[in-house]
Amino acid sequence: MDIILGIKVQDSVIVATSKAFTRGISILKDKDDKTRVLTPHNLIAFTGEAGDTTQFADYIQANIQLFSMRENTELNSKSIASFIRQQLATSIRSRTPYQVQILLGGLNKGTEPFLSLLDYLGTRVDLPYCAHGYAAFYTMSLLDHHYRPDMNTEEGLKLLKLCNEELEKRMPIDFKGLYVKVIDKDGIRDIDFA
Amino acid sequence: MVGKDCVAIACDLRLGNQSLGVANNFEKVFQLGHVFLGLTGLASDVLTVHENFRMKANLYKMREEREIEPESFANLVSSTLYERRFGPWFVGPIVAGINSKTGKPFICSFDFIGCPDFAKDFAVSGTASDQLYGMCESLYEPNLEPEDLFETISQALLNAADRDTLSGWGAAVYVITKDKVIKRYLKSRQD
Amino acid sequence: MTQPATLASDYSNEVAQEPIEHRFNPYTGIAGEDFAVLAGDTRNTSGYNINSRYDPRVFDVGDNLLLTANGFAADSAQLISVFKNQLEWYHFDHNKALSPQSAARFIQHLLYGKRFFPYYVYTILAGLDEEGKGAIYSFDPVGSYEREQCRAAGAASSLIMPFLDNQVNFKNQMDPASHGTEKRPLRYLSLEEVIQLVRDAFTSVTERHIQVGDGLEILIVTKDGVKTEYYPLKKD
Repeated sequence: MDIILGIKVQDSVIVATSKAFTRGISILKDKDDKTRVLTPHNLIAFTGEAGDTTQFADYIQANIQLFSMRENTELNSKSIASFIRQQLATSIRSRTPYQVQILLGGLNKGTEPFLSLLDYLGTRVDLPYCAHGYAAFYTMSLLDHHYRPDMNTEEGLKLLKLCNEELEKRMPIDFKGLYVKVIDKDGIRDIDFA
Repeated sequence: MVGKDCVAIACDLRLGNQSLGVANNFEKVFQLGHVFLGLTGLASDVLTVHENFRMKANLYKMREEREIEPESFANLVSSTLYERRFGPWFVGPIVAGINSKTGKPFICSFDFIGCPDFAKDFAVSGTASDQLYGMCESLYEPNLEPEDLFETISQALLNAADRDTLSGWGAAVYVITKDKVIKRYLKSRQD
Repeated sequence: MTQPATLASDYSNEVAQEPIEHRFNPYTGIAGEDFAVLAGDTRNTSGYNINSRYDPRVFDVGDNLLLTANGFAADSAQLISVFKNQLEWYHFDHNKALSPQSAARFIQHLLYGKRFFPYYVYTILAGLDEEGKGAIYSFDPVGSYEREQCRAAGAASSLIMPFLDNQVNFKNQMDPASHGTEKRPLRYLSLEEVIQLVRDAFTSVTERHIQVGDGLEILIVTKDGVKTEYYPLKKD
């Protein structure tokens, strides 16, 4: 029931994740951040099987950071997406596959906004906007209707607000609000999303 | 689909997770040199298998100092898929192209463990394969010119996809002649 | 003293499942301006066996109505015989012909009456409506129905139906003069065109479907009555 949402606009990418950490019928935490920062211009948001998610995200984060240190360069978004997909595609045919859904947001080569959707099977699609899980059923119609590729960040956040209102209204359990992050040429910043 | 000194290969653009349409820009036909590879099935394997064959086609090109021909590529597909006989890639490949030496059009389809079907008229694959067989078998005629072949393959794909809930959301068509490749996107029903 | 061996089968309530005939041959109905056709192949199969090469299953049930029920052969026979019987009662009671519209609603009641032990059949009804225009009604096994311009049912329906969409309702066809902005306008097909389409559809499907072949019987209903045409199909 976790919410993972991403919108790519003119010069930035907006990523939103639900704050609730749920296990069974209980909410164990209301300030859970389901993202990992990979480079100054790239982050992943994740959901899925409880242990797998953080384990896999940490693994990806460590490898990307290791690469950045060794090569003294920031890996671009497309390469990161390829790397994550490769890991997931290998994992699905192993004895213990990672059950993780991932959303990668960033600026490709520090300039071009980039958003990629990856699932536990190793499926990857680059999209203008996307969501994982049930959130997709509630938000895709809104995004299909209102999205334009030439939106600026502010308009993107306005659209995200519409999505949030719909989720608040229709989601059967409280997801404790959204953490919202914007990735643009200045890096990654948190948005206070009332 | 084979025409007169030309071939065409087409795919829809939908990527779905069961009933939910996820993307309408997921192309399933890939160009490797002058050979075209269409892949249906599990999206993850479509990507992996494409990457795999891109690598193999590139290695072939470096070793042989020429691009791989459709006939050789079809055999490569067959043996590569059969290598995974007991843990297969879930894909339904189609190979299409024109032999650069002989100028002969070539198409071939496979099951997911690599059994080749060297058809001389048309080959189909995917969730709408029944519908496609019906359309192709009734619309197809041999020796079509490129423009007529385009219309035939497009009508076959569009009408077949409209009778399959899992297919559609746009389409891409390649018409391949000896010296030219024309790629067109088709507008189609969005439901 | 020896006890006679008891065979499990002595007490078995199981009914032999093998020799039940399933017919999933394709049937195609197309409506024209002043006619309707209902066509089907004449092959009767069970499993990989061919029981008969000429077993016509499209019926002229009277009152200028054509009926076929495709699927489980026994249910199909039963449905058609019930319908024919009730049609006679209708004549005795009302002394007039049954319209296709009423026939369709009646078939719905026959099918839905067995909602929880359905006739396992896909039904198509063809006739001429009050205005004399061709009418095709198609049903699912429990009686949902719809009037349509054309319909394919049975084994190879998934092969035929998109072809009919394209060639009868001109789906995905544009008017060439409009440069892809206008749909090709709809028009009624002539009887000759319809018969050619049906024959093309069946020869094509015969190539690709093992249960289809041997012969094609087309029943044509016009205001002058019902005509039957037969065309051979491949026997392999």
